[in-house]
Amino acid sequence: MVAIPGPLRLRAKGLGLIVAIALSLQPSALLGEARRVISIIPATTEMLFAMGAGDRVIAIGNYDTYPPEAQKLPKVGALIDPNVEQILQMRPDLVVIYGTQTELKRRLDRANIAYYSYVHKGLSDIAQTIRSLGMRVGADAGANALASRIEQQLADIRRRVASQPRPKTLLVFGREPGSLRNIDASGGDGFLHDMLDAAGGADVLGDIHRQSVTMSTEMVLARAPDVIIELRYSKDDVNNADMSAWNRLSAVPAVKNRRVILLTGEEFVVPGPRVAAATRRLAAALHPEVRW
Amino acid sequence: MTLAAFGTVTLLACLLAPLVGSTSISLARVFDRSIPFADNTDAQVFFVARLPRVLAAALVGAGFSLSGVVFQALLRNPLAAPDTLGVSAGASLGAMLVLTAHADFTLFGVSVVPLATFAGALGALAIVFVLALAKGRGTSSTVLLLAGIAISALLSAAGRFIQYLSDVTGTFRTVQWLMGSLDVGSYAPILASLVPFGLACIGFATLPRILDLISLGEDAAEARGVDVVRAERVALVSASLSTGAAVSLGGPVLFVGIIVPHIVRRLVGADHRLVLPASALFGAALLIVCDLIARTIIAPVEMPVGIITAIIGGPFFLWLLFRGR
Amino acid sequence: MLQATNVSFAYRHGAKALDDVSVAIPRGSIVGLIGPNGSGKTTLVRLLNGTLTPSRGSVSLDDVPLSTRSRRDLARRIAVVPQETHVTFDFSALDIVLMGRYAHLGAFALEGPDDMAIARRALAATGTDALAPRQFATLSGGEKQRVVIAGALAQSSDILLLDEPTTALDVGFQFEIASLLTRLNRDHGTTMVVSTHDLNLAAMLCTELVLLKAGRVVAHGATRSVLTSENVRRLYGVEADVTFHPRAGHLTVVPLARTE
Repeated sequence: MVAIPGPLRLRAKGLGLIVAIALSLQPSALLGEARRVISIIPATTEMLFAMGAGDRVIAIGNYDTYPPEAQKLPKVGALIDPNVEQILQMRPDLVVIYGTQTELKRRLDRANIAYYSYVHKGLSDIAQTIRSLGMRVGADAGANALASRIEQQLADIRRRVASQPRPKTLLVFGREPGSLRNIDASGGDGFLHDMLDAAGGADVLGDIHRQSVTMSTEMVLARAPDVIIELRYSKDDVNNADMSAWNRLSAVPAVKNRRVILLTGEEFVVPGPRVAAATRRLAAALHPEVRW
Repeated sequence: MTLAAFGTVTLLACLLAPLVGSTSISLARVFDRSIPFADNTDAQVFFVARLPRVLAAALVGAGFSLSGVVFQALLRNPLAAPDTLGVSAGASLGAMLVLTAHADFTLFGVSVVPLATFAGALGALAIVFVLALAKGRGTSSTVLLLAGIAISALLSAAGRFIQYLSDVTGTFRTVQWLMGSLDVGSYAPILASLVPFGLACIGFATLPRILDLISLGEDAAEARGVDVVRAERVALVSASLSTGAAVSLGGPVLFVGIIVPHIVRRLVGADHRLVLPASALFGAALLIVCDLIARTIIAPVEMPVGIITAIIGGPFFLWLLFRGR
Repeated sequence: MLQATNVSFAYRHGAKALDDVSVAIPRGSIVGLIGPNGSGKTTLVRLLNGTLTPSRGSVSLDDVPLSTRSRRDLARRIAVVPQETHVTFDFSALDIVLMGRYAHLGAFALEGPDDMAIARRALAATGTDALAPRQFATLSGGEKQRVVIAGALAQSSDILLLDEPTTALDVGFQFEIASLLTRLNRDHGTTMVVSTHDLNLAAMLCTELVLLKAGRVVAHGATRSVLTSENVRRLYGVEADVTFHPRAGHLTVVPLARTE
């Protein structure tokens, strides 16, 4: 230890303290590394944990139910009602929010907290989001590995179904319980459509360039899909009587040939790391003739 | 315009509407018995997709119009809506509860949402009944109106609270339900709604002249020989059953119930012996036409029928109003 | 024949409107109810036609309590002309009068030619035949009142209860209504109860008077014995000259000064 005279030592300590304080006041995103991350979006929460940055996550959103190790973290709201007070109190250095949450952005700017603005887009954007988020939190290696793995798995699925005929598919992600009213199906845009495409299905609503289309029974009959895939993602049981609502439309090829398939699981509606698994399940449902 | 004219218009609407739609079908194929129904797409479009819609539209339009007429006379307010007494708020609360809870079952071919909606409507009616009517010798319309406003506000607040607790899907489904949909796709819900609607019509049949008299005032009606307490109970229960049946079948497409009585009164005068049946017929025809427009105007996708009723009904009513000046 | 015996009535939120009131309306008479504002005149009229039920005592028609009769029966015997009539929808004057026939028709019956004839006669009797096709809501106050009286006549009842029937009318129509009522009473024997502020009208029209103050009967009997300046002072706190007018043929009341 070098002998430093007293007053100089004190001054050095003071300077060091000032530098330390100055550094800690910087939005740490500028340093390319975040230690206290809040994510209120299911997709990005899954991404953060899957890329190995889970230990930096201090709070998640109300609807983030995966992975299990995240469940013990406090939940601070979501798209419609983020708990701004709680978020600020936790003193994060990065908050992952939706691009449309302008009010929340304003509050974070005022509190000088950095945020990552997430936009929900297509299948190909998922890998991109993983990489850029990884950079923001300083988990580049894990993020790159994760993204590459997903890309490979999707390419693999595409290859396997490439030579198969593509059935006309209706991808339904919701309808009024017990009836065929307000059928919500995937249109020609968005990551559900992209998943269907990768899984080797021809989207029967591909010409309608919207992410979601509310269908009538007449429209289902007119479009005559060969396969109907219904996605459910809550834990509720599906009883027989409910799927039997489709039997009313017996002239639809999918109904006639008993190709109305129910797939459950949240991986279908979270455009995150589990998309490859979800796409694989879709492909298996559409192409049972291929060995999976 | 006579009742026969109204009836003809409604019948024409019922017969022609299933022939029109976003998909072109061949009538010959529809009625071709040689093709098994299970394979006949055209027949399914006609009998499964379109015809139930048209019949549902007729019932919903008639249901809201009838209860609109009755509430307007009962409350002596030409702007009263079928949901003035909170029946629709109760119905909406029922729907929201099951949509939020993701309940999913069917009873006799009727799904949980219409069942819960109707239960909610009955619940609201029961509350108003107990509060306003059980007190002493019947009720003044002011008390009825205030009780209804209070119940409506309370139930709407409860509904909003449920929405707040709901997840995104539940909220989304609720918003969809609130915009109304006549795409029932089967006859079971129509038959189910026909039961309370039929009961309501039995009540309505006793009321026309009484509504004329009550619209002069309760004392005035009583002095002319009307048993006001009994008549108001019959009117209230019938109108609530009618609104309940209509909301559970098609959602809260309430605007129909406010404007149809006005349009009809301009066409046939104030006598309820004409206004009541004419409103049922006109309301049915109007909603059939509105639903037809809703399902064809931006084909292949559809618009919610509630938007069309507002777009058509509002200006039409304004035109009638200013034409008469 | 129409009799209130020891009736008391209190509205839900207030003090007693009527306290131990007994009134007998003999057949064929014209009885006036006189009293200051808040004396209970309107309440008494509503009790007499059965709209209100007394908290104590009873009202009976031909010795049968009103409460045992159906509303329809009562409407065939008693018709009411209220102070004001508000109409929500665009009914014509003829519609209003025809509605008076409800008590005589079944629930699903339509008005027949006889009913129409009765309605027309009632309109003619009140000088309102020309107003028949017009919308009731567009008529003047006086015209409305005359149409409502026609409606009460169309009810073909033998008793008529009128609550301030001439308050909104000009002196010409006041006179006309008074003559009409007198004529009805004379030609058809219609029993009438007239509640009014107008002491001169009461003097002209009524054979008997019931004086009410603060929910109690202060005096009742033949007009000439009850309508005295003493009673006017007791009821209204007004010093008035009550004299027989030879040309008019009835008492007249001329207010002179306020005493209270």
